[in-house]
Amino acid sequence: MGGIDLSRIFTLSLFATTFRMATPVLFATLGGIFSSQAGIFNVGLEALLNIGAFFAVVGSVNTGSPVGGLLYAVVACVIACLFFSVVHLELKANAIIVGLAMNIFASGMTNYLLVTMLDSTGFYQSDLIIGFKTVEIPFIKDIPVLGDLLSGHFPLVYIAFFSVWLVYLILYKTPFGFHLRSVGENQDAAESVGINPKKMRYLSMILCGVFCGFGGSFLSLSYLTLFSEGMTAGRGWLALAAINFGEAKPVRSLIACLVFGFADALALRLQQFGLPSQVVLMLPYVSTLVVLLGSAIADERKRKALNAKHRSAETALT
Amino acid sequence: MQKTTRKPVNSFFKKIFVEAGTQVANYAIIFLISILIGALVIFLSGKDPIAAYKALWIGAFGNGLKFADTLDRSTVMILAGVAGALAFRTNVTNLGLEGQLYMGAFAAAWVGFSIHGLPSYVHIPLCLIAGCLGGAIWTLPVIYLKLRWNITELVTTLMMNYIGIRFTEYLIAFPFKDPTATLAGSPVLDASARLPKLMQGSTLNIGFIIAIAVAIFVYWFLFKSKTGYEMRMVGLNKDFAAASGIPVNRSYILAMTMSGAIVGLGGAIMITGFFGRFLGSFSSGYGWDGMMIALLAQNHPLGVLPASLFYGALANGALAMQSATGVPQTAVVMVKGSIMFFVTVTVFVPYIRRRLEKWVA
Repeated sequence: MGGIDLSRIFTLSLFATTFRMATPVLFATLGGIFSSQAGIFNVGLEALLNIGAFFAVVGSVNTGSPVGGLLYAVVACVIACLFFSVVHLELKANAIIVGLAMNIFASGMTNYLLVTMLDSTGFYQSDLIIGFKTVEIPFIKDIPVLGDLLSGHFPLVYIAFFSVWLVYLILYKTPFGFHLRSVGENQDAAESVGINPKKMRYLSMILCGVFCGFGGSFLSLSYLTLFSEGMTAGRGWLALAAINFGEAKPVRSLIACLVFGFADALALRLQQFGLPSQVVLMLPYVSTLVVLLGSAIADERKRKALNAKHRSAETALT
Repeated sequence: MQKTTRKPVNSFFKKIFVEAGTQVANYAIIFLISILIGALVIFLSGKDPIAAYKALWIGAFGNGLKFADTLDRSTVMILAGVAGALAFRTNVTNLGLEGQLYMGAFAAAWVGFSIHGLPSYVHIPLCLIAGCLGGAIWTLPVIYLKLRWNITELVTTLMMNYIGIRFTEYLIAFPFKDPTATLAGSPVLDASARLPKLMQGSTLNIGFIIAIAVAIFVYWFLFKSKTGYEMRMVGLNKDFAAASGIPVNRSYILAMTMSGAIVGLGGAIMITGFFGRFLGSFSSGYGWDGMMIALLAQNHPLGVLPASLFYGALANGALAMQSATGVPQTAVVMVKGSIMFFVTVTVFVPYIRRRLEKWVA
């Protein structure tokens, strides 16, 4: 690493890339937060991103517009989530197994449909795919540093970060969010005050599908306008780690997403400097472990400090 | 009223009949739904599902050679399935089988291509042991993060998958690059490290026998040994096991490392038996297959054997299906996924049982 000038790595565009790379993980995370809060640990996020990315491409080709692609992706993901819900809630299958099954099914399905619908193997790239265009924000784009950071992103990037606030509002400031959380917290108590747990779980899964549809279509219709096998590259799993880290709270999970986005952006940048791609591509996954370890260490410190405080308070009293 | 004298025997057999019948019918329903989903998908893409399934069957069991290849395909699945069953039965969510498989495979390949001049009966065991170690070592970070910092293995094993796959890709792209190869792969293994074949014209090798031996050993270990009993108790109820003095942490460490070692051995057998060198992304999801097989076998090491044979047949027949009927072999992945969707569905069971009881009575 001796020959690499750090100031050339840590540029403004690196941080702008961070927002871009965090976006798909963030969408999946927000979707997963809804189902987690309602008591379904959805490990099928990777599958949903995959399905979303594929159908976004199909939709874009069919309708000739990225918005059409987004709609296709959302509908496909919602259908997949409803299928998940029926198998889990009606047929009483284990949610984690159903989630893992969905990952396997989705990878088979997208590959199969790639051959039979789009007539290509491995990946599909075409001029027929119309992607989103970047958006310049009128005033902010002229401000030196902020302009580079915040302006010129794809619309879905703005929607993703705006959604964090929206999800927070829905979950914590509306009766609907309160009901949803109560189902996850204590199903019997929720039921006793007239909330239908099954209905809330279905709704949470539908919302999960909507967000994953957005995330998937960002993958295939924004920076890249193509679909390739395995293009989700574990982002659904990263989202799962973010939910785990953030205890299914939107703002806390956002922090984890930004760390993963940064690791991804750094990986891209380091690749341009000639570091072996295999090594730098490990970064997001290694950073997940580091983030989880860091938060565990911080939690323990906090607990120890609290204990020490209690103890000194006790000795002061006696 | 003469029947009353025979009643105890009768009801005992009835009970067994109902129990076994329920299991069989439950699996039959799951398979039927999954195969129908596969057929529907094939039909919707304009192909003939019956012809496709027929080609799949012939590709998997058509003649002795094809059957031998199916057995060879199922070898790694048996080991991955046993690894999954061992972990899941002892309450260890090891979703990192794929990464451990890669690490084991690379370790075996490394011993195979870097040590020369050994006789086969030394070189092969060394390779296989290296495979076990490679797989087991890859679980150590997970164990540390779980036992010291209480970080769930559900997330960490998944991350270790990606790290392991990338790491082995790096190893064959840089330090151990084979300059003569066109594919990304390690140098070719010495002949002394290759597993002997069992049958002329097929890739079936002694790895298959090793796999069955491992499955029987794990069955003995889990169900007949004291440590295994303790580990199953931890799997049933961790708090209760801890309260009755069973070393819960030791059980976790053993289950995780053994699971990693077994699937690592599977990787080692693939390399020394089938490929003869380490290839980048050589596994088409065998670790994930192992997980599904373990579930299908209800986490029983011996139940893994028929389940693996089924998955091996699907894998072997899929290629034949693709070349004969033009149905992409990924159709099979959807069938596998569908089976997993429904394998933990429990609503059929009481229904079938009621019907069977009524029918018997």
